[in-house]
Amino acid sequence: MLRIECPCCGPRDHDEFRYGGDASVSRPTHDDPDPEAWYAYVYVRKNPAGLHREFWQHVIGCRQWLVVERDTRNHVVSSVTFARTSRA
Amino acid sequence: MNAQNKRLPGGGRIDRSYPVEFSFDGQKMAGYRGDTLASALLANGVTLVGRSFKYHRPRGILSAGPEEPNALVTLGTAGRREPNLPATTLELGEGMAAESQNRWPSLAFDVQSVNGLFAPFLSAGFYYKTFMGPTRRAWKVYEHFIRKAAGLGRAGTEPDPDRYEVRHAFADVAIVGGGPAGLSAARAAAAAGARVALIEQDFLLGGQLLAERSDGAAASWLNQIEAELKSFDTVTLMKRTSAFGVYDGNVIGLVEQRDQVGPPRTGEARQTVTLLRARSIVFATGAIERPMVFANNDRPGVMLASAARTYLNRFAVLPGRKVIVTAVNDGAWRTAFDYAAAGAEVTVADLRAAPPTALVAEAARIGVTVRTATRIVDLHGGRAVRGATLAGPYGQSEAACDLVCVSGGWSPTVHLTSHLGVKPRYREDIDGFVPGAFPADRFGAGAMMGNYATADAIEGGHRAGVEAASFCGKSAPVSAPSKLDLGETITTMLREIPSAQGGKAFVDFQMDVTTKDVELAHREGYEAVEHLKRYTTLGMGTDQGKTSNFLALSAMAALRGATVPETGTTTFRPPFTPVAIGALAGRATGHHFKPFRRTPMHDLHLANGADMLEVGLWMRPWFYKQSGADVNEAYVAEMRNVRQAAGLMDISTLGKIDVQGPDAATFLDRVYANGFAKLPVGRARYGVMLRDDGIVFDDGTTTRLAENRFFMTTSTAKAADVLSRLEFLLDTAWPELRVAITSVSDEWAAMSVAGPKSRAILGAAFPSLDVSNEALPHMGLHESQWEGCALRIVRLSYSGERAYEIYVGATAGEQLWSRLLEAGRPFDLKPYGVEALGALRVEKGHVAGPEIDGRTTLDDLGLGRMVGKRSSFVGDVLRRRPALLAPDRQRLVGLECIEDGKRLRGGAILFLPGEKAHGHGRGRITSVTFSPERGHYVGLALLAGDVATEGSEVVAVYPMKAETVRARIVSPVFLDPQGERLHG
Amino acid sequence: MASPDFSLSVADCPLIQVEGWDGMLGQFESSLSAALGTKLPASVGETVRHKNFVIIRVAPRRLWLALDDGTQGSSLAIDPDLGCSVCLGEGRMRFSLAGADIASILSTCIAVDWHAPTTAPGRAVQTSFHHVPVLLIRTSETSCDLVAPRSFARSLQDWLADG
Repeated sequence: MLRIECPCCGPRDHDEFRYGGDASVSRPTHDDPDPEAWYAYVYVRKNPAGLHREFWQHVIGCRQWLVVERDTRNHVVSSVTFARTSRA
Repeated sequence: MNAQNKRLPGGGRIDRSYPVEFSFDGQKMAGYRGDTLASALLANGVTLVGRSFKYHRPRGILSAGPEEPNALVTLGTAGRREPNLPATTLELGEGMAAESQNRWPSLAFDVQSVNGLFAPFLSAGFYYKTFMGPTRRAWKVYEHFIRKAAGLGRAGTEPDPDRYEVRHAFADVAIVGGGPAGLSAARAAAAAGARVALIEQDFLLGGQLLAERSDGAAASWLNQIEAELKSFDTVTLMKRTSAFGVYDGNVIGLVEQRDQVGPPRTGEARQTVTLLRARSIVFATGAIERPMVFANNDRPGVMLASAARTYLNRFAVLPGRKVIVTAVNDGAWRTAFDYAAAGAEVTVADLRAAPPTALVAEAARIGVTVRTATRIVDLHGGRAVRGATLAGPYGQSEAACDLVCVSGGWSPTVHLTSHLGVKPRYREDIDGFVPGAFPADRFGAGAMMGNYATADAIEGGHRAGVEAASFCGKSAPVSAPSKLDLGETITTMLREIPSAQGGKAFVDFQMDVTTKDVELAHREGYEAVEHLKRYTTLGMGTDQGKTSNFLALSAMAALRGATVPETGTTTFRPPFTPVAIGALAGRATGHHFKPFRRTPMHDLHLANGADMLEVGLWMRPWFYKQSGADVNEAYVAEMRNVRQAAGLMDISTLGKIDVQGPDAATFLDRVYANGFAKLPVGRARYGVMLRDDGIVFDDGTTTRLAENRFFMTTSTAKAADVLSRLEFLLDTAWPELRVAITSVSDEWAAMSVAGPKSRAILGAAFPSLDVSNEALPHMGLHESQWEGCALRIVRLSYSGERAYEIYVGATAGEQLWSRLLEAGRPFDLKPYGVEALGALRVEKGHVAGPEIDGRTTLDDLGLGRMVGKRSSFVGDVLRRRPALLAPDRQRLVGLECIEDGKRLRGGAILFLPGEKAHGHGRGRITSVTFSPERGHYVGLALLAGDVATEGSEVVAVYPMKAETVRARIVSPVFLDPQGERLHG
Repeated sequence: MASPDFSLSVADCPLIQVEGWDGMLGQFESSLSAALGTKLPASVGETVRHKNFVIIRVAPRRLWLALDDGTQGSSLAIDPDLGCSVCLGEGRMRFSLAGADIASILSTCIAVDWHAPTTAPGRAVQTSFHHVPVLLIRTSETSCDLVAPRSFARSLQDWLADG
């Protein structure tokens, strides 16, 4: 089972987390009217064999959304950060 | 049969003061505490233990460990019955009742073994050729017979009454294997300061050292290190525990068997699965000896040389007195010497022309006959081996024997290290596979790395233990381990070339795969090892081919004229040893299968005759028994009562979310398709959320409690998804919005009073409350306290009747429910269940889960007008995609049944009248109910827009029940289209 | 396990949740600390005991005030420019577990290392118990509280009782 090290709760089993998809795509602003931008955001994925940035939420825990960098070939997690880059 | 006639008078690691009675195929026998079932059977002179999988050949005990392919038994009766257990791993327990498998009518006389008759049907590829091609239909005819003939043990069909447990555990360093390498690693890691878990499948620690005499140097070394390990309170010794899989994150799956020291203790688990999370792992899993391949090499009495030595020295059993030891390496000679010392007449047949002179000299000294460059080519005897044909430099000769000890070399146990993708690497000097490069947090030691000498194993284990602890940041100084040199000679070994003159020569005992099958696979082009495996079923038994994989590779390599590494190795996957599904489930069966959610009024519902229904994790009243004889009668009665008087419904299951902050209104304006910024304080609004792709996500109502505070409700089913999604948007998309969202689902007991008399009931229940239409209009809010708890009343309707949703602190839920029922009694207020709730909303044309199914848009559901000219909300851009606006897209319609005595059904496929009922049709019915208002069945449907003309007819086809019924397309709002019932 | 050394009691669990806005956290915390008259736990998992409540940081910007049993929960006035509070006085139950066998019993419930520094007495851990989110507050070497959602409480209690 995947173990993910939550930046504020420590390493936990993956079943405490909810997967949130590809974190490498950038979301258009809420008022962006461009269908192409939304199309790319919703549907276009690189699906790499290798390092992949993805969203996970520590849903049975601190409920923070995280960006997890995982190697899709061997599930090694190389970094976990908060998705929100907090201001002070 | 003499009781334990093969047991030696002294020695061994058995406790002769504790005799243990057991039975085998109904025959009572005795062994000792410290025996395995296999050693006890051997002590009692039992040589025939089972029949083979396909050919029903007589089989005995080959090994002394989990690699056993032959001696599989069934234990227990009724629900406790567990098949295919290797007798070699079963700790003998008082009253243990073992049965042999795959024989009929009895083990000694098996009808199907009179074969030759059956054999031709069972060669490799038989199934594929016979049943997968044009003759596939034949399978239907023969399946029954084949399944009966070929097979293993039978599982019980009754529920298992025993307890199983799943446990979580943690360690710095996990060490798999309690032999010399593992023990040494455990000592080193513990001394370095690490928390250690040592895992050993046996009920004794020691591994191969247990094959040494129980009173020698090995035994004192073992005693010393075991005492040392016990002195650390940071070391957990897990005996009777098999590591069956290694998973991501260094999680090891372990299954522990209950000890057999006494009868089961109350509440004790028969098996416990432990998920051990380790920071680093040392694999010290040892090696498995290889059998040899020659004609009739599966006869009872053929045993791995190391196993024979284990039975002699550990269990004080002498299974044979005329012994042939045949080997390609030095190790097996130790078996020959020990058997000779125990009084057996021993011949060594070494395939090598010049074994080490020291061994030959020692053999001469103690009277062991040595024949070099000699191999066994055939064995004689049926249920027990009686003689061997030897072939050597001077031709063939016959030799009588009752035990044949074989050693075709050793295969390091690399199964577990392969689970996470470490590919085995061929090591020429040992002619075997060892693990390839490990990642930084995994280590190997001892025989599993190909270092077979005990002294090397201890040294390697020590090093691995130190490094594994150091990986965890534990590097206290560690003293050197005590040395143990057993004087093993490890010289070059010879690859045995399978010979198969005469009879069947088995490569895989459990799956009955012979050299002929490998040849056939080769001839037909199935040369790749993964093809060979699938074509012949090699390695697919419950033993995962532990003794057969290398033999098959080596046979195929010889046929191809290639080397073993060129031929490849198979991929090992969990589980290493079979694990009962029940053990994996642990306690999570029956009512513990999943956690249930209960509303604050749960007990009242049960007391009031509710028939409960699981809705997701929630338990909800389905209907109340006093409303009718069955659900169909009850829900219609409950609906009528709501429409005519009033009903009370538990809606505590709704998702409830507190939304607060200076930007709360802006946030809601973005997440809902319809606007919330202008919602006045004290008012509620129905809202719909879309996904980013423009499809409807969920609906609910949100009430503005204050300028910066809202109370959102979601559907019961989507509560968790909605909360997560809102958090996602705030954390990733709009972190600048100052909004806090918190689930308050469990905070509130929620109930809805619906019906024409609801206002009067509310007035009676809350005498001081102004319930007038002016004070509490449709979509209005009242907030106060009730019995010391927060109270919110929102006038909202789901049923189409005037209705109030009443929220009170969860601790006061039962009290308020009772109060409402009491206040409502003069007004015929009755509780109703989810069946009636669903029916009421269908009559009113409200969409719910069956319509909001992850494929429908606002326009599909007739909700497009809610949005108006708004934009910049989630899903707005992609909902305008041309395909989502196509005129023939399915959209929501109402249907009414126009055939007397017939009904509509959810899931029915819709066709136009006269159209052939074939394929996906023009749409489907999503929700139905009998409508007391209309007097017939009505339903909601999704129907292609180009044919969805109100007033025209469709045909609803329900193939599951072969029903066809005509229906008329109508407005989905079957009741009170002007909403007069709600507003007044 | 025959007659384990383990006891379980269940009570209501009044809580107040407070949360500071991103960007205002420093001000929010000093104002809250002043209002409560005590320091705040610095990082997630730390707790601070004060008077009749325990302050637990459950997320970087979110704190829970767990009030002792019998204390009336109410909301806390927070400057809306700094953050907000919500009363969670009704939705949770508190299991108090104690006894020498607590670690062994909990090992069949939660995947948390009882011996890790992050679980030491005085620490709090949010984790999953039979798929349900719970907050474990370690109260001593051999005791802890588990705060669980009310709707799941009976299922979890049944599970513990079977342990």
